[in-house]
Amino acid sequence: MKFFSFFRRQKGPDGKSPEELFQEKYQNFRKLLQANSDVLDIMTKLEAKLEGDFIFDIQYVRSRTQTLLAKARTIIDALNALSDDQYADLAPIFDNIEAKIKTEIAAELPTDIMPLVLGLGQVDRRVLGQVGGKNANLGELKNRLGLPTPDGFVLTIAAYRLVVEENLLADKVRALLTAINPDDLTDLAAKSAHLQQLFREAEIPVKLRDEVTWHYHQLASRVDSEPLLAVRSSGSFEDQEYSFAGQYLTCLNVPFEHFFDRYREVLASQFSVEALVYLSTKRLAGREPAMSVGVLTMIPASSSGVVFTRDPLNPQPDTLVVEASWGLGVTVVGGGLLPDRFLVAKTPEAQVMSADIHPKARRVVAAAGAGLREEDVHPEDSARPALSEAELATLGRYGRIIEDHFGEPQDIEFTVDEAGRVWLLQARPLTLMTPVGEAKPPPQLTEPLEALLEGGTVACFGAGAGPVYLVRGEEDLVEFPEGAVLVARHTSSRYGAVLHRAAAMLVDVGSATSHLAILAREFKVPALVDTQTATQVLKPGQVVTVDATHLRVYAGQVDALLEARPPKASTVAEMPIYAKLRRVLRWVTPLNLTDPKVGEFAPAGCRTLHDITRFCHQMAVKEMFDLGEKAGMRDFHTFQLKTPIPFNLHIIDLGGGLDAPRRARFVPPEAVTSIPMRALWRGISFPGISWAGPIPIDVKGLYSVVSRSLTAASPQHSDFWTRTLAIVSETYLNFNSRLGYHFATIDALVGETRNDNYITFRFKGGAADEVRRGRRARFLGAVMSRLDFEVEVTGDLIVARLWKYPRPLMEEKLDLIGRLMGCARQRDMVMADDALVEWYVEAFLAGNYSFAGEPGSAGPGPAGNGKPAD
Amino acid sequence: MAATVVIVDDEPDLLDLLKLILTEKTDYQILTTTNPHQAIGWCKEYQADVLISDLRMPEMEGIELLKIIRETDPDLPLIIMTAYGTIESAVEAMRQGAFDYITKPFRKEQILMTLNKAVNWRQEQLGH
Repeated sequence: MKFFSFFRRQKGPDGKSPEELFQEKYQNFRKLLQANSDVLDIMTKLEAKLEGDFIFDIQYVRSRTQTLLAKARTIIDALNALSDDQYADLAPIFDNIEAKIKTEIAAELPTDIMPLVLGLGQVDRRVLGQVGGKNANLGELKNRLGLPTPDGFVLTIAAYRLVVEENLLADKVRALLTAINPDDLTDLAAKSAHLQQLFREAEIPVKLRDEVTWHYHQLASRVDSEPLLAVRSSGSFEDQEYSFAGQYLTCLNVPFEHFFDRYREVLASQFSVEALVYLSTKRLAGREPAMSVGVLTMIPASSSGVVFTRDPLNPQPDTLVVEASWGLGVTVVGGGLLPDRFLVAKTPEAQVMSADIHPKARRVVAAAGAGLREEDVHPEDSARPALSEAELATLGRYGRIIEDHFGEPQDIEFTVDEAGRVWLLQARPLTLMTPVGEAKPPPQLTEPLEALLEGGTVACFGAGAGPVYLVRGEEDLVEFPEGAVLVARHTSSRYGAVLHRAAAMLVDVGSATSHLAILAREFKVPALVDTQTATQVLKPGQVVTVDATHLRVYAGQVDALLEARPPKASTVAEMPIYAKLRRVLRWVTPLNLTDPKVGEFAPAGCRTLHDITRFCHQMAVKEMFDLGEKAGMRDFHTFQLKTPIPFNLHIIDLGGGLDAPRRARFVPPEAVTSIPMRALWRGISFPGISWAGPIPIDVKGLYSVVSRSLTAASPQHSDFWTRTLAIVSETYLNFNSRLGYHFATIDALVGETRNDNYITFRFKGGAADEVRRGRRARFLGAVMSRLDFEVEVTGDLIVARLWKYPRPLMEEKLDLIGRLMGCARQRDMVMADDALVEWYVEAFLAGNYSFAGEPGSAGPGPAGNGKPAD
Repeated sequence: MAATVVIVDDEPDLLDLLKLILTEKTDYQILTTTNPHQAIGWCKEYQADVLISDLRMPEMEGIELLKIIRETDPDLPLIIMTAYGTIESAVEAMRQGAFDYITKPFRKEQILMTLNKAVNWRQEQLGH
């Protein structure tokens, strides 16, 4: 009713006439459509950049993204202007998405103004460039999501650069990075050892030392003790698209008096052989890496593990994987033993769907004073699950929240303290084997072959063949031949130094969540872990084919399996700028709101810019549709269409809809310049469509009409029998028709921009009883469906929608709707039988608009006087 | 002998991408830097055959770089990379003697075609 206050005869409080206000709403609608079109265009072009054919830089990504955000805001503002602020709750949702996008495109802070140390409370992804991916993500968990993480502080990338500068290490680092040859591990090992030693001996600048000491004392006062510390790497590229899983060092249980030594070791770990190989194979060696370091209080761990918010090898959206063992998490991520594995439903109840409990005879714990030690697990605990149902439920809940927040599947490390409280230590993007939502059937052998080895757990799908190369320790990596199959007893992230050269990998002991398994997936090396006996069964030099998908290893080269291998992904797609664009686009392009009929089609369901713009577009069309129904003719200057057809049609021209003098009262149909109105009128006035006089009805039908007329259901307006209002512009039509007991509304936009074009048709009512009116609605619905509309029929109401067809086809559809309205007039009175509905549908589509030859009637056969609809 | 191409831009992401693609698709020696002064030095040291430069760099504008290069190697072809919306500046660079310009973002095929044209022109100038 608030709407009507705008459309009184008197001017509104802002001095605008009803026409001006209406015109304003229409202009907002047009502004929204234009902005929506621009947004779709930019999204399409940004997505096209990911195909690998383009050279672009971050300035381009920033510029296009900023335009996208501005356009999306225009769309929201236009919708609220059109709807009198009915959608104010879109603003905070947009702000949240905008903040995430801006974090991804934020420019790096110059090092000279970057602080050397930040409290963990000051860290989130907005300072990613200062603190690296691992710290930034941890900050998001703590400060944005309020999830439990250890307390601590962060030495930033500025601190690293200060160390490098004051120790004159920059040139030495650059010299090493430009000379990396990942295939000469002996030379690389020598260079790596030399540079790492320089870092271990580096002087810590006084300024940095003082700031760290201050932060430590602040931390100690907060936790009311002198805490032992976890010193964790957070490299500039780490834990974003590049996992660097296990490549950098983490030092656990460190007393403060040893902190700076461990800090130097963590910095030095950037230049380990495996880290350098990783940098080189990921084409990051041209960028100088930098290292931030996180310093966290140690949590006394009862059990620890990882959560994968999707199973990386079978990424169903409704389950997550938890792996855990007793003590600290090094045994789980390091792959030294087989942890307990749980599948948990991603629901509020977080039911445990399966539990594989393995013997856990040993655990790693914090030693008294400093460092770690390994000890036996009590026999009673060895077979007991490492996590309780309550702990699993908490992890399930956290996993859902974290995945939702980052917008993609996550690999999360956690620990559970002795009181059963869950602490989160790390979150990074999860490498999946197949894109989420796709399932590609793996190749199968057509003839059975005897396998040398069967069983284990897939770490990475696929098949690869080559000679077996047994790796007992790091020293064996130097001679690793190109194309060999790496076979090892345990997983070790150090073996990552040769993965880029491996045809496949087999490990006796280890899990699919270990660092080495993550690296195998990242490098797409077919791999099996937990094979138990690979190192015993297979002989060095023996050529084998590993079919990781089917958990089998065959003697020799099996071409049938190798031919079916998918091509490796383009290296271009792995470049940092592509990664950045992908990170931005995950908040832009995915469309979650697909069905307006579903409850989630609401502001709260909007997770991306595309969701917001889709929602706004849909609501704007609805608002325009309702606008015409609410407008009263007495509030506007209207033209009346001069036509012999008994249609009391009044027209409001918003601009471009009529070619007639402003003061004219009557206009001929030829004066209509509105594209959709002309098309509809062509149909309404089609020769052979009769609007004059009653049509033959049966007695039952007549009684049905008479009885309805005598009830209170009839409208009371003085021009009850024919009352039609059309609001038009050059490309827009809102047509409201009240023909007797029928209410028909058509809202349409038809122009040259295909993406903007739509038709919404709504028809309700009729003179006859409910059953017959329902039949007529079904008739209309069936015809509209055959005309490619999306149709809903409820009782005597039919709503039909069509979107995004080119102009000529939209005009054709409107023409047919005009004919259909004429043909459907009073049909409810004659549709005596359900079986007749289909006959009427076919008759209309064949152009038999008089429905001559209706079964059971004595009338003439079809005159064939209208062209077929299809 | 393979041609030497020096590329300078203040965006390391773009340099990495260009180097990867040009190295895969050609046998040219590709040298990339974010430092215009280093680019000038390399052009002389390596007797570059083509210089590709961004138009707008914090340390030096592409047109200024062009003028400096012209003093030592008047015939070195310079391809200017310009972002969308600064076409006028690129046309100005052409007037100052740039060999060609290309608007970012561009397709791989575009840069390859323009680069090959520049290399061929250079080799004709040098009588190869």
